[in-house]
Amino acid sequence: MTASEARSNRISAIIRACRIITRMSQANPDAPKSDVLYYKMLSDYYTRLLNAHDEGKFIAAHTVFFPSEILYAMDIVPMHTETTTWMMALFLGGQAEILSAGAELGLVPEICSPHRGLAGAFSLGVLPRPDAMLWSNLICDNTAKSGELVMELNKCPGFFLDHPFQRSEAEDKYLVSELEDMIHFLEEKSGRMMDWDKLSDIVARMDYQTELFREIGELRKAVPSPFPNRGFLQLLTVDYLCPGQPEAIAYLETLRDELAEMVRQGKGAVSPERFRLMTLFVPPMYLMGLIEKLGHEYGVVSVVEPLFTRWAEGRLDPSKPLESVARKAAMMPERRSMYGPLGQEALQDLIDCAEQYKVDGAVYWAFMGCRHTCATVKLFKDVLNEVDVPVLTIDCDIVDPTINSEEEIRGKLEQFFELLEDR
Amino acid sequence: MSCWKTASGIEFDMKALGIDIGSLTTKAVILDSGQIIASSVIATGEEAEQSARTAVNEVLKQAGLKLDGGVAIVSTGVGIKDLFPGQQSKSLTTCLARGIHRLFPSVRTSIDMGAESSTVIRVNERGRLNDWVNQDKCAAGTGIFLQQMARLMQIPLAEMATLSLQAKGRADISSTCAVFAESEVISHVHREPPTPKEDIVAGIYYSVVSRVVSLCKRIGIERDVAVTGGVALNRGLVKILESELGLAVLVPEKPQLVAALGAAVVAQENIERGIGR
Repeated sequence: MTASEARSNRISAIIRACRIITRMSQANPDAPKSDVLYYKMLSDYYTRLLNAHDEGKFIAAHTVFFPSEILYAMDIVPMHTETTTWMMALFLGGQAEILSAGAELGLVPEICSPHRGLAGAFSLGVLPRPDAMLWSNLICDNTAKSGELVMELNKCPGFFLDHPFQRSEAEDKYLVSELEDMIHFLEEKSGRMMDWDKLSDIVARMDYQTELFREIGELRKAVPSPFPNRGFLQLLTVDYLCPGQPEAIAYLETLRDELAEMVRQGKGAVSPERFRLMTLFVPPMYLMGLIEKLGHEYGVVSVVEPLFTRWAEGRLDPSKPLESVARKAAMMPERRSMYGPLGQEALQDLIDCAEQYKVDGAVYWAFMGCRHTCATVKLFKDVLNEVDVPVLTIDCDIVDPTINSEEEIRGKLEQFFELLEDR
Repeated sequence: MSCWKTASGIEFDMKALGIDIGSLTTKAVILDSGQIIASSVIATGEEAEQSARTAVNEVLKQAGLKLDGGVAIVSTGVGIKDLFPGQQSKSLTTCLARGIHRLFPSVRTSIDMGAESSTVIRVNERGRLNDWVNQDKCAAGTGIFLQQMARLMQIPLAEMATLSLQAKGRADISSTCAVFAESEVISHVHREPPTPKEDIVAGIYYSVVSRVVSLCKRIGIERDVAVTGGVALNRGLVKILESELGLAVLVPEKPQLVAALGAAVVAQENIERGIGR
């Protein structure tokens, strides 16, 4: 098989898997319509990526927390490297091969597995070859080396977007200037010019999208809570892959309406609802099926994920598109608790979440590859314990199944549910 | 006497039986009105199911009872479910909390050092589990590690404790990996001059203790503190643990029985609440 065929095969397999799920959801009268829209959004995203070079489009690979709104506005095809790696893990179960290829590049198991995986995937040639690599230092520390490695493996140019650690007026201006430099870089390399009107439209939709995220967050406060445990990853993915895109809006609007209807009818995602959990960081993605199953078995539902789904208040202004893209970075849930000086505000937000969402317990998925986040394990646990919320910490990896066994994680969760029941 | 009434008003005397099936030993306890009336500790064989049956038969025999519906059973440890009629399974941590609270109600932190894992629990004033943390990634810090070291040094396990109390120094032994620790012990034995045995044993104990103390620090230590599990029978190790924690610890008379006792306490609660009949 040639490298080009290998690329097509993996991405095609993700598209096929999404289309099968879409068809199954369409055929099932009980399946939520939002599921159909979500999987269609994924298959469209990967179809655009698969066909990009044949259609003469420019592919920009980028790491997590990168403002891909800019790429959409320039008609450049984005490739979210970490998400694509975990999509392969979720849909194709091919972690072992790509992680092993990452190991051959010298990446040890203690390094973030999505980054080990993306390096391995590029090394194996199973991801489309990007025309440029873009990365930033926002939140994730691993991106710095991944960006350079992807450039080297693909012999493509790259741009590093420097995000200030602190926030002030001067630093916001600096970020805008960095975005301008990146746009010049992309214009030069791709030959495509920034369409400022298009960017304004995207910002307007992004503003609405953040409102939808907040509305969904409000609906999840209901008892019983209507949002299923597996939905958490969908909320992440929609913003990672399609920020401010019409398909993202269609999915989120439909989801909001479905949740509102469930709340109106007093229906919960699990029945009966016994325990309401706060999820800290991300559960192992390859175990989402187990988590969903245990949720139903024990009546457990994740009602809030402060690190990932709780957007800060604030509006985006389409008349100032670049400033708004910079502002969005500050409103992102991940930015508030995993980047920048961690202040009392972030800790107070955890306490507020626990109270507002009537949380019975919290599970911290301590992903060893994300070291700066793991530094908050004790801090968050102490704060939540103070308001009588027990916290289970599970050392784990989000993509690599060799770090924990399913049995071990099941055992710890069951033990925790027993603790909650016994209180 | 723990009684329950049938719908027709007939009273039955119920006993509470707890089983803890560990990787090295299986323990069983019978409670009657909160008092231990029988207990047994047997080696866990290749078939954990058979070991559980043997331990249960032994305590039933001691107590002069039969499995005829007059015994409520709760098990913990290695997951054997539905072995006995009406048997309920509970996690080790819940049982440890109940067991230690029954013995020492003032205990708020309890360290269980078993054959294959070490667990630190926080217990509230009602004997309910508040939090736990365990070391289950490596044999370093466990009873099996100590057994392995005793075999390596060709010293009976019981003698190691006495030797450690005579140590004048302490060999540096890794606390992060049982395999590396073994290599280090071998090099201490064979170096010229060899490190005194007492100091090697003390070093081994320190390596186990430092692992456990780091667990304690993760969860936070609140007094009183107890130590349970088979390793708690080792006086030398407990002394080093006390010195590293900077406080005296409570050790039950039969520390290896605490989880089985806790399981029996849960069974007793089930009788009182009318569960599992």
